Amino acid sequence: MITCEEFFVEFADYLENHVSPEVRQELELHLSQCRVCQVLYDSSRKTVKIVSESNSFELPQDVADPIIDRVMAKLRTKGS
Amino acid sequence: MSFLSEAQLRDEFGPFIAFQEAFGFIPNLLQAQTLLPRVIEAQAMLETAVRLREGAISRVQKERILLSIAADQRDTYCMALDSRVLSSLGLSDGQIGDLLNGSRHAGLSAADFASLQFCLKLSRHAPSVCRQDIEALRTCGLGDESIFEAVVVTALAMYRCTLSLGLGPEPDFGPPKLPSTRIDQPLGPTPLGSLPDPHEAAHRKGPYVPAPYLSPKTFAPFAAVQRSRGFIPNFFRAQTLRPDLVEAQLEAMGRILLSEDALTRVQKECILLAVSAANLNSYCVAMHCDLLRGLGMPSEDGDQIAVDHHQSNLSQSDAALLDFAVKLGTGDPEFSRADVVKLQTLGFTPEQVLESVVVTAFNNFANTLSMGLGIEPDFAPPPVFAETKVHLSPAAPSPMQQRQEVVHVSDTLQDADADLVALAQRGQLEAFEALVRRHTQLIYRTLTAILGDPIDAQDAMQDTLLSAFKHISGFQGRARFSTWLVSIARNTAFQRLRTRKNVESLDEGEYGEDRDFRPRQVRAWQDNPEQCHSKSEMRQLVERGLLQLPAKYRVVVMLRDIEQLSADDVARQLGLSVPAVKTRLLRGRLMLREWLSPYVTASYKGAAQ
Repeated sequence: MITCEEFFVEFADYLENHVSPEVRQELELHLSQCRVCQVLYDSSRKTVKIVSESNSFELPQDVADPIIDRVMAKLRTKGS
Repeated sequence: MSFLSEAQLRDEFGPFIAFQEAFGFIPNLLQAQTLLPRVIEAQAMLETAVRLREGAISRVQKERILLSIAADQRDTYCMALDSRVLSSLGLSDGQIGDLLNGSRHAGLSAADFASLQFCLKLSRHAPSVCRQDIEALRTCGLGDESIFEAVVVTALAMYRCTLSLGLGPEPDFGPPKLPSTRIDQPLGPTPLGSLPDPHEAAHRKGPYVPAPYLSPKTFAPFAAVQRSRGFIPNFFRAQTLRPDLVEAQLEAMGRILLSEDALTRVQKECILLAVSAANLNSYCVAMHCDLLRGLGMPSEDGDQIAVDHHQSNLSQSDAALLDFAVKLGTGDPEFSRADVVKLQTLGFTPEQVLESVVVTAFNNFANTLSMGLGIEPDFAPPPVFAETKVHLSPAAPSPMQQRQEVVHVSDTLQDADADLVALAQRGQLEAFEALVRRHTQLIYRTLTAILGDPIDAQDAMQDTLLSAFKHISGFQGRARFSTWLVSIARNTAFQRLRTRKNVESLDEGEYGEDRDFRPRQVRAWQDNPEQCHSKSEMRQLVERGLLQLPAKYRVVVMLRDIEQLSADDVARQLGLSVPAVKTRLLRGRLMLREWLSPYVTASYKGAAQ
């Protein structure tokens, strides 16, 4: 079986679902036997999900509108 | 004498000894490369590993493939040499003549015949090779190892034919004797009908032959690739049936591509990109676009070389270098000594011309191998390449002839913003406003990610939008409009950062310092961690975590995970290589994981209770 270190080399691609069937098989065999990597994988997957669904740093419409209006007003006066 | 001058090498030069032992003489093809002994070493490594080493198919079978392809390419140099080799291995003049004539009367078994036919198809028009061809070989009884070796030998044949076309060595022997009667059943692929359906091909992923997992821990060459590139390309992963061949290729590549005593790295990468594009090889196009970005070339410039290098920002002499390489690499029958002379009159040294021939030859080795094994791209090729260049008819042997008209990336790039951009460029403010509203969040998040401060980012919005309007007439459509907007936002943010102290760099450390990061937190998380906090609490938690990240990780995580761009798009927008993006993304995600852990581990008793 591969070691944790070898698992970690492939980890980024595994998380992105971007590994060949042969590599996946090795990784999943390791996961089934290694509690530490299991936790690492499970929590990393959940991190990505939480971050993706967080809507972080969404500029509220009522903040965005005045900024865009100000810019457009500036451009109109320049243009005319 | 060949097209270029030659040098005298010591008798004990290793590769010469190896050839002397294997063939009884030193081929003129090697003498023609004596100006750069390192490229002779490269060829010797490939020939030893692919041609001479014991494998699943016999030496005679390999030599048959080499000779048939040489004959098919009308390469008189290789025909004479390989005929002599086959004769020394015991084949009669009649049998050799049959191979030279491309006839099936060479007393071949059904499996050998099918294998030769496949190799010829691969050498003539690699993009038309598909999974069904491999299945057909299996039906004839060929095993995975044999199929794999047949592909690599074909790749070697293309390497040698390209070298011989580019260097024009004197034949080592007189032309082989041909039997007087031409035989009517030509060997070779049936032209059409076997063209893969691109939609069907897209569903079937992965290389045609199995690729057992090989660990960088036990296989040192993989560890070296992982160190230098930050990842192991599929090109090598797909060849793990024969680790010794991977090792030989990496050694050869190092000698051909890494040294800068003749051409520069960038010049060589441009050759690899332009010739791969002419050969319609999207695997290699994606690879070399990415490598060029890693060497500092803007994405749009690399994309333009892939589509039509004449319209790129290259110097006149570098454009001529690519003309030379493309003409050679596509096996143009018009290629001659005059092309070599022309390059020298433009100021290229004989060493540089030699190297461009060898790089082109190696490119054809890699193109043939990747198409023959059906290797999946590591990265997305430039969008425009993927859309315009797939699957030409194999009836058109030279793809270059298909693109006589001038092609700009901007003519073919699909961009949903294109219509509005055209109006905005003519001064229509409504169109500009619509574009801005469409991309507000992308701009704002880019600014926040770089500045690390949402309020500061709101301030920077106005400058970014004004700057975008000011420069929109200069936008040429070589990239998507959204990519261009991100670059405007980046510049605006950097200008603001310069007025601050302790500026964080986004560029330092491609992957070196990031590699050693190891996660610490190993307590299990709850099954549904998002349920132990309200949505707004969770968002605040993530935002605070993001603001604590170093900027270079934050930008990548925000564009990938929050804006949901692909890793390839993030690389394009930030001008980074894809491996660098992936490394930073992982590091950023793992840091966020550490940050979130205390709030979501199974033992957490939080607000929800």
